[in-house]
Amino acid sequence: MNIRKILAVWAAKAACGACRAMGRQGVTWAGKLALMICPSILREMAGEVRKKIFIVCGTNGKTTTNNLLCAALEAEGEKVICNRTGSNMLNGVAAAFVLAADMGGRLDADYACIEVDEASTRHIFPQFTPDYMVLTNLFRDQLDRYGEIDITMDILKEVIHSAPQMELIVNGDDALSACLAMECRNTWTTYGISEAVTESGDDREMREGRFCRKCGARLVYRFYHYSQLGDYSCPQCSFSRPPIDYDAQEVQVGEQLSFSVGKEHIIANYRGFYNVYNILAAYAAGKNAGLPLKNFNRMLKNFRPENGRMEQFRVQGSGVVLNLAKNPAGFNQNISAVMADETLKDLIIVINDNEQDGTDVSWLWDVDFDRFGSQQINSITVSGIRCQDMRLRLKYADIPSLLEADVENAILARLADGCGNLYVLVNYTALFSTRNILKRLEESRP
Amino acid sequence: MKQKAPKYSLTIGHLYPDLLNLYGDRGNIACLMKRCQWRDIEVQTIEFQSEDTVDFQKLDIVLLGGGSDREQILVCRKLKKIQADFRSYVEDNGTVLAVCGGYQLLGKYYETREGRIEGLDLVNLYTEQGEDRLIDNIILESPLCKMPVVGFENHGGRTYINNNRPFGKVLYGSGNDGKSGYEGVIYKNVIGTYLHGPLLPKNPQICDHLILKALERKYGPAHLEPLDDIQEQEANTYMVQRLT
Ligand SMILES: [Zn+2]
Repeated sequence: MNIRKILAVWAAKAACGACRAMGRQGVTWAGKLALMICPSILREMAGEVRKKIFIVCGTNGKTTTNNLLCAALEAEGEKVICNRTGSNMLNGVAAAFVLAADMGGRLDADYACIEVDEASTRHIFPQFTPDYMVLTNLFRDQLDRYGEIDITMDILKEVIHSAPQMELIVNGDDALSACLAMECRNTWTTYGISEAVTESGDDREMREGRFCRKCGARLVYRFYHYSQLGDYSCPQCSFSRPPIDYDAQEVQVGEQLSFSVGKEHIIANYRGFYNVYNILAAYAAGKNAGLPLKNFNRMLKNFRPENGRMEQFRVQGSGVVLNLAKNPAGFNQNISAVMADETLKDLIIVINDNEQDGTDVSWLWDVDFDRFGSQQINSITVSGIRCQDMRLRLKYADIPSLLEADVENAILARLADGCGNLYVLVNYTALFSTRNILKRLEESRP
Repeated sequence: MKQKAPKYSLTIGHLYPDLLNLYGDRGNIACLMKRCQWRDIEVQTIEFQSEDTVDFQKLDIVLLGGGSDREQILVCRKLKKIQADFRSYVEDNGTVLAVCGGYQLLGKYYETREGRIEGLDLVNLYTEQGEDRLIDNIILESPLCKMPVVGFENHGGRTYINNNRPFGKVLYGSGNDGKSGYEGVIYKNVIGTYLHGPLLPKNPQICDHLILKALERKYGPAHLEPLDDIQEQEANTYMVQRLT
């Protein structure tokens, strides 16, 4: 019996219980405490997973993809550990394992599905070697505005090299992810969409990796899905989009999503093109690991995003949708998802500039907010620490907005005078507090 | 709707947005465009991709943004081809806003640990790579405007401007080299600066300065209608109050 380990589990559970009121921070705290008491706890517990360990990396879509994968495995009757709340650094990952253990410090799990912040892979891989890595995409994040995408790719390359047995599941429509996979010796599988779906291709959209990573020439695209995702090839060297193993066909994007992959026809009640990729990634990962995924559609039907990813609330007679949007690529996709709802709507945009958000708000100007200048929008309210910057951003798109720095006041005001259909788009640190406000309002029926 | 024919017309040239686009440069363009349009000044922006040739004769305002070091080396090669024309434009009082990497490229060179990136040598300044990056909000007092200038800086280079005028005195933040207490450079109608955020929307007087200088060069003495800048001022003041 390992006393330290049991002690660590008890302490973590107690800490998490005590901090529950504080929300998410409690999880990170619990993990930190467990690692302090028993530094080897993550290594030990990861070793107790009976079958396979998946990790999910990439700029956007990590949490949704990981939670979908977890739900898909559970629907097959497997016991799965998952860092559902998206605490994706070392402490958060440790917490996911420790909090899933019983009071004797034992783990009862077939699989683990863990999303990992790209930079944190360096701290995670020495603890355990995953069997599979899902790489969703590599976009420019709000945090890495000075070419850090190069640094992120170097880190990923390094950890992938350190785990030669690990299989990669990558988005083949992303030239950066595909290039990374090609440069590593690991076995890899691709998913993607081989036909143009939307008439997109606003060329002003920021596109990362437009230049061939191998020779520097500008990549040629047959079409773009969004951002830099699409069908690309290099006019100068042999680099091109790889063959796609899990190819989504007949993709429909609207009030709901549907597509076929192999013989499977998949339908989901969500909006947002990007969710096709999230669902496809989870499906490819599960299938690739040899699971039959017979219950995949049923899982999708019951899947309720609970982390502020298009999460729905019912407050004082109004429908409220909360969604995280933390970088230009994510925000542009969010705008598409919001505009796919053609009914009249009020909008609140919450922008903070805390460390985890990125203290530099320049990225707001790379988002195509102009598309909110539409009859579908009843009102826009800007909120959060940098609401003034957001208001200016809209002003220079000729879109007037209301300013209310306090998020709760902004929500209450639009519930009172809005049209009954409210969207709240928030960046990272505003997510949890806003979600708590909406949960509280939803539960306190008048 | 007013239907009078515009009195003035300006053309903005955005150099190499495909390579130099790290810091919301679209915001600077949007700000220049809107503040012209709101005054009935006809305005257009031409984007020059890295393989395009640039005809400076047609341009009234040139914007040069910032990229990563890797991209800057690519740009530097292209820029050599336009160096002579760019220099004539600058010496002929052409208006230029150069931000971050673009600011560094105005100078003689940028000495990095991996080697020297040759600059355009339009302004007598040079840059050396420092130990760490200087990353934070920044506030300046600039001779070009009454309001404080607010922005964000994020640079590894330390820029030395010799005897040139700085763009501003640092009230909060690091500036050119973290030591001199000054930020950016003013040379003729060129502004070079590390400030993004982007620079112009929260500093509308700098934007108007660029527009005015471009109009004066093209049309002689000019006058700009004042605009309602309350939202700009509030956003500016919020940052000043928070940091000082
Ligand atoms: Zn190539």
